[in-house]
Amino acid sequence: MSWQTILTAMLPEHLLLAGIVALLLLGIGAPRSRGAAALAIGAAIASALAALWLHASGYSGAPFAGQYAIGPATSLAKFLLLALAVPVLLLSRQEFAGPRYYVLMLGSLYGACLMPSSMSFLTLFLGLELLSLPVYVLVLLAFQRPECAEAALKYLVLGGTATATFLFGTAFLYGATGTLGIEAFASAFWSGHPLALTGAALIVAALFLKAAVVPLHAWAPDAYEAASVPVTAYMATVVKAAVLLAALRIIVGTPVAAMIALLPLVSIAWGNLAAIRQTSFRRMIAYSSIAHAGYLFFAFLGAGPTRYQAVMFYLATYGVMTLLAFAALPGGGDDVADDRLDGFKGLFHRRPYAALAIAAAMLSLAGLPPLPGFVAKFLVFRNALAAGHTTWAVLGLVASYLGLYFYLRVIQFMFMADPAPDAGSGRGRRLAWLAGALCLVPAIVFAVFPGWLLDRL
Amino acid sequence: MSDALLLNVVLWLPVAGMLALPLLPRGNDAAVRVLTLLVVALEFVIAAWLFARFDGAVPGLQAETRVDWIRAWGVHYRIGLDGVNVLLVTLTAFLGPLVVAGSFTAVQREVRLFHGMLLFIQFTMLGTLLAQDLFLFYVFWEAMLIPMFLIIGIWGGERRIYATLKFVLYTAFGSILMLAALIYLVYTMPWHGGVPSFAFEYLYAHPPSAAVQNWLFAAFALSFAIKVPIVPLHTWLPDAHVEAPTAGSVILAGVLLKMGTYGFMKLGIPLFPAAARFFTPAMMTLAVISILYGACLALVQTDIKKIIAYSSISHLGYVMLGLASASLLGIQGAILQMVSHGLVAGGLFLMIGMIYERCHTRDLAAYGGLAKLLPAYSVFFMLLTLAAVGLPTTSGFAGEFMVLLGAFDTAWPLYQQGHPAALVLAASAVLGVVLGAWYMLWFAERFLFGAARAPHQPLADLGRRERLILAAIVLAVFAIGLYPEPLLQKTELAARQYQGLLLGGSAEVHP
Repeated sequence: MSWQTILTAMLPEHLLLAGIVALLLLGIGAPRSRGAAALAIGAAIASALAALWLHASGYSGAPFAGQYAIGPATSLAKFLLLALAVPVLLLSRQEFAGPRYYVLMLGSLYGACLMPSSMSFLTLFLGLELLSLPVYVLVLLAFQRPECAEAALKYLVLGGTATATFLFGTAFLYGATGTLGIEAFASAFWSGHPLALTGAALIVAALFLKAAVVPLHAWAPDAYEAASVPVTAYMATVVKAAVLLAALRIIVGTPVAAMIALLPLVSIAWGNLAAIRQTSFRRMIAYSSIAHAGYLFFAFLGAGPTRYQAVMFYLATYGVMTLLAFAALPGGGDDVADDRLDGFKGLFHRRPYAALAIAAAMLSLAGLPPLPGFVAKFLVFRNALAAGHTTWAVLGLVASYLGLYFYLRVIQFMFMADPAPDAGSGRGRRLAWLAGALCLVPAIVFAVFPGWLLDRL
Repeated sequence: MSDALLLNVVLWLPVAGMLALPLLPRGNDAAVRVLTLLVVALEFVIAAWLFARFDGAVPGLQAETRVDWIRAWGVHYRIGLDGVNVLLVTLTAFLGPLVVAGSFTAVQREVRLFHGMLLFIQFTMLGTLLAQDLFLFYVFWEAMLIPMFLIIGIWGGERRIYATLKFVLYTAFGSILMLAALIYLVYTMPWHGGVPSFAFEYLYAHPPSAAVQNWLFAAFALSFAIKVPIVPLHTWLPDAHVEAPTAGSVILAGVLLKMGTYGFMKLGIPLFPAAARFFTPAMMTLAVISILYGACLALVQTDIKKIIAYSSISHLGYVMLGLASASLLGIQGAILQMVSHGLVAGGLFLMIGMIYERCHTRDLAAYGGLAKLLPAYSVFFMLLTLAAVGLPTTSGFAGEFMVLLGAFDTAWPLYQQGHPAALVLAASAVLGVVLGAWYMLWFAERFLFGAARAPHQPLADLGRRERLILAAIVLAVFAIGLYPEPLLQKTELAARQYQGLLLGGSAEVHP
């Protein structure tokens, strides 16, 4: 452990920390300042670039042996998380201009960064908590409707349950294997010791709860609906990605995925079916994200090295396209107006480019070519089929078909329905346009040159 | 320019047009229409040039482009012309300008998006036809749904939402199983140098084991059969056709339905020859059922668009019958019938669109004696009706006749060996011709002759633009009917190879 290693290996985290400190100082010095947003976005971008640099230079190091280590792959994962956060920050509204919102965001991002590089359950737990705690507050920040409080409480209680389950599982694993290292999961799994298996099961349950996989998904629709637009976008992309990347580290080298493939399958089917009946956009996205959590865990069915590639590619396309939809919302950032699917009616007449962007996002999430979501879906099911899980893959594909309808319904509303009489003529904010453009460029690259990204994973 | 480059121009020109559309000044619909028309017309000129240069005596691909696309997966951007797709590519490019010109007055809402979608669907259809790589093929195949979904859903009739969702959900279900089958196919076969290959050529040369073939063929066939459509998977078609705007109906009937039969020719049969042989009796039976069932339903319709929609089911049944007959005549007839049906049904849908623009109803009972009210219209309509019936000297005759001859070619020896079933099927298909003449001529009689009546009078007869469009189609119909030789020449080699596959010959030679 040398100071230099700590400085270099944790550079993205340090930059986030610097941003947090600067924001806190700003909060004391000039609480009404408008510079908070710029500061936070700058910190996130700098941190993302640092992660990208670490990846490109092939740096690997372990500043805290046995607790925290990075390699090129983890740096890329970090870059993904940080890069997804940039459009989220751009989407954040002016009302939140106070520094506290951004402090919470960057704090949560710090936790997200810890997760892919943790080598022990202790660090992982730290990352998970740091990721989640600010989000509980962020959900409440948009306190506009009475049901928000209920949803936030639900999220807090279930999030707390997930944490407790995770700790419980860690304790079991420690009892059975005598180590807190992340590899304890695999060794516990192969040992067949009942205590260790219980621990492993509890940890998987905690991950499923965090990632919103059926039957541990019930919190997601309420939380997504209650939170404001950028926080929902954050939960649907960065939080989900961080949990999945952590799961990728833990479950590596075990056939757990194949044993529990039923739950992701049910998740896909149920998420897709329940989304059909929603009248709220964010609830619909919540069910969509439940289905996508299912796809992501399907990616674990593949053989070892292909998992990382599939999960990363999937998270990148899913994240980018979800954020694109959020950036183009018809209400222009107004939480209540943006929530009703009715508000999407006739959007093409009012804002054609926003409607086209949302349509592209929906078709991509549905997995239709030539959009990038198709390549991601192909990758996931290819891995499952190539690893010999033919039945699961076919069932998963059929379940994914169920999702086509509700995505098309959004397009139907935007292009084929007359606008509701009370539809506002919400205009896109300039920063939202920027966020959309930031998502559109990688989306086009993923769709046209998927091989370029795949070669780098 | 080399042929390969020109073929790429044919494929990508619509995309260039699509990207140029937003640059045109706001509200200038005329500019949008003219630009689109220029793009598709230029495309047709190049496609016709490539068609003329296509040499039917050379086996394999011509004007081929091959570039790595996703190297790690063995996916290539590979396009080219062969004996099967060359006719359909030309047909698609031919119908393009007619569709655009045919919608000049019919579409007044969201003109820019409409033309963008026309160019988009042109791109995806040509891509599906030209693709020589399974991944690329699937991308184009599935992407076709997106513009069609919007075309029917935005500019369609009253029940357009229901119709377009039904169309997409039906077709997508077939595609999802095809996706599973194609992944399975590619990843379970021996890889070449650690990388799988999606190239048709490679897949043709490595057919999977017989037991697996049946499953995979079933998955592919389901997807294609929905698109054709083969009874009983046809129920999306009448709704989609009736609710679609004229342009949508023409594209559906003209090209989209052929994607199903093309899929059988290009993928279903050559990828899984043993399974295709196994399923041939079932395919023949379903084809004949489609012919008869479609014709019977066409007979009882009162909506003029529905008559043509059901007649499409019947006519595509001939294509399937010809393909399944495994005789050279039948297979060549099937290809010819695809082109002929594209022209004739496309022309009829255009004509129905023209009368609908004038009278705003598709109820047959509202019309009568149009021959007196609209003489020029009636002449064109009668010519296309005769082509649909299969009158000698029209393209419809050449195709249907060859298919039936082919079916008998196959059925007769079987009968002599004591298997009469095939002969019964072939004879029933002839009954379909009779039914076809009945419903079409009866329709024309009620529509064109008798006491003159129409919902709106006086009616303006065809304008110059409309006459030009229809003249082009009628000319093509008679040219093919009178002298099909050049078309047959270009397809003969490919047809022979398919025949070899279906008869259990060597799988070495491939189109």
